Amino acid sequence: MSFRSQAYAALRICYFNGIMPLWRSPLLIGAVFLTPFSFLFFLYVIAPRALFPFGVVGGVLFTALFTGNGMLNDCAYLRLERQLQQVYVASPVRSLTYILGMALSELAFALPAMVLFLGILLVVHPFGALAFAALVGVVLLTWLMACTLGFFVSTLFQQLREIWPLGTLIFSTLSVLPPIFYPATVIPKQWQWVAYLAPSTYAGQLADGVVGLGGGITTSVAFLNTPLFDLVGLGAITLLLAAAATYFARWRER
Amino acid sequence: MAVLEATGVSKVYHGRRGTVHALDGVDLSIPKGQLFAFLGRNGAGKTTFIKVAATLLLPTSGEVRLFGEDVVAHPEAVRPYIALVPQEGRPFFHMTPREHIYEYLRVRGASGESAKARTEEILEAMGLRPFEQEPAYRLSGGVQQRTLVAMILATEAPFLFLDEPTLGMDPFGRRQVWEVIRRATRKGSTVLLTTHYLDEAEQLAEELAVIEGGKILYRGAPEALKSTVKREVRLQFSGGFTRSELGEYGEVIEDRKRLVLLTTRSRVREITERALERGSEITVGPVTLEEAFLELVGRGIEEEE
Ligand SMILES: Nc1ncnc2c1ncn2[C@@H]1O[C@H](COP(=O)(O)OP(=O)(O)OP(=O)(O)O)[C@@H](O)[C@H]1O
Ligand SMILES: [Mg+2]
Repeated sequence: MSFRSQAYAALRICYFNGIMPLWRSPLLIGAVFLTPFSFLFFLYVIAPRALFPFGVVGGVLFTALFTGNGMLNDCAYLRLERQLQQVYVASPVRSLTYILGMALSELAFALPAMVLFLGILLVVHPFGALAFAALVGVVLLTWLMACTLGFFVSTLFQQLREIWPLGTLIFSTLSVLPPIFYPATVIPKQWQWVAYLAPSTYAGQLADGVVGLGGGITTSVAFLNTPLFDLVGLGAITLLLAAAATYFARWRER
Repeated sequence: MAVLEATGVSKVYHGRRGTVHALDGVDLSIPKGQLFAFLGRNGAGKTTFIKVAATLLLPTSGEVRLFGEDVVAHPEAVRPYIALVPQEGRPFFHMTPREHIYEYLRVRGASGESAKARTEEILEAMGLRPFEQEPAYRLSGGVQQRTLVAMILATEAPFLFLDEPTLGMDPFGRRQVWEVIRRATRKGSTVLLTTHYLDEAEQLAEELAVIEGGKILYRGAPEALKSTVKREVRLQFSGGFTRSELGEYGEVIEDRKRLVLLTTRSRVREITERALERGSEITVGPVTLEEAFLELVGRGIEEEE
């Protein structure tokens, strides 16, 4: 199959695995909204008003990050419970095509919540078209990173039961602990660098940066304080995970 | 010309039960257009072989060539030519049979027109018409299985791997699947299927292999396998005899309330006369593939021990 056919196949997978079920049971969207909105509501009630925009950006990124949790569960489910991944392995569909198709399905699920959060953000903290485009870019990169991570982790297990709690654990940790919903300045200065251990921190830094919220991590190395570092970091992690997912993953079992 | 050529294929698993030789030096060749059946007890290695040949699993050693390409070194060269029904697969719960077939064909690169035509054709042939608009979660188990099989057979892939394709289907459904499988081979596809229904293997397969403990015990036509049984007549009794009484005439198999005796032609008259005296109901017929299988594999197990 040509490159074009592979790309078409990924879109087709997104259509029947993402858009079709959403269309048939719209209640599924509710599940995506629930957690980030609870967080946001919580912040709205307890945090100073000035921090609220950070919370809204956090909501956007949370939704993007949790596509990884969906990816992890759906891929494991299709492989282990339905034996359907095998049907795609034994076919001209490449592993990357399947991963992309599944990731696009997760994006379809997350899209309504993302749009709403972006709308709220524009209201509480207006910014220009360029910043908006940059923010969308950051969100897409975050989604790719989360989905490659989700797929990779899903392939390490042979039991659905082991996977269910794991996904929530990984992606909650990634989206709640690091400075996603709050500015990094809340963390004592000498400990701020620790946040860089979480891949989601790069996304948070970039997102807050492009919409001009500030509140970023400061370290003694000047380069680490630039958005370029965050971009390179997020991009590198995504590429690394994609490579790991395609090489070590159970596209073909050992 | 052989389209599948396996030489010395082994697969070793290291698990809690120690080392398992799921496949132990399997040599196999399947010619183009053949309908080939794999028989064997649970855990014999059928699925493992299919997974290796269908590029789903790496073997520990050995080589499988499909259409001349090495499945280990060049899986992507093989994959466009194969399709697989996995053992105990299940469809997407929200999609209808029609959508399953059509979408899968499109993902595999078929044009809209050709996918549509093939979808209609297979829905009809597999008796899925009454269910074509139902989402899979509302379908019975057997119809879900038929959906999966239809989806794979519709690809008309040159090599079809069918791991227990008729599992859970009623006798009508099974016959419809058989017909579609036969048609696929007439069109030039080669089929490797596994089944635990020996009547199915007898009806369908041109050739079969019996596998036990990862080794091939027998390879040949179903008729030839039946003729390997030393006792050529099968008598079934309902009451009137004890197991030990029948034991002197040949091999006795206890099949729930009934006793089945495998014996030679020369002794049939004597036994039927005794049965008539006792008023026992008795059925006489040739040995079936099932008995041949039981005897062959039974012998294999004994030799092993
Ligand atoms: N992932 C695995 N890890 C360890 N052992 C395995 C694994 N998969 C299969 N086995 C073992 O390999 C052997 C062959 O299994 P296989 O699934 O090929 O059998 P089968 O002939 O298809 O049986 P069935 O008729 O029950 O489907 C069995 O002993 C099985 O327990
Ligand atoms: Mg099996």
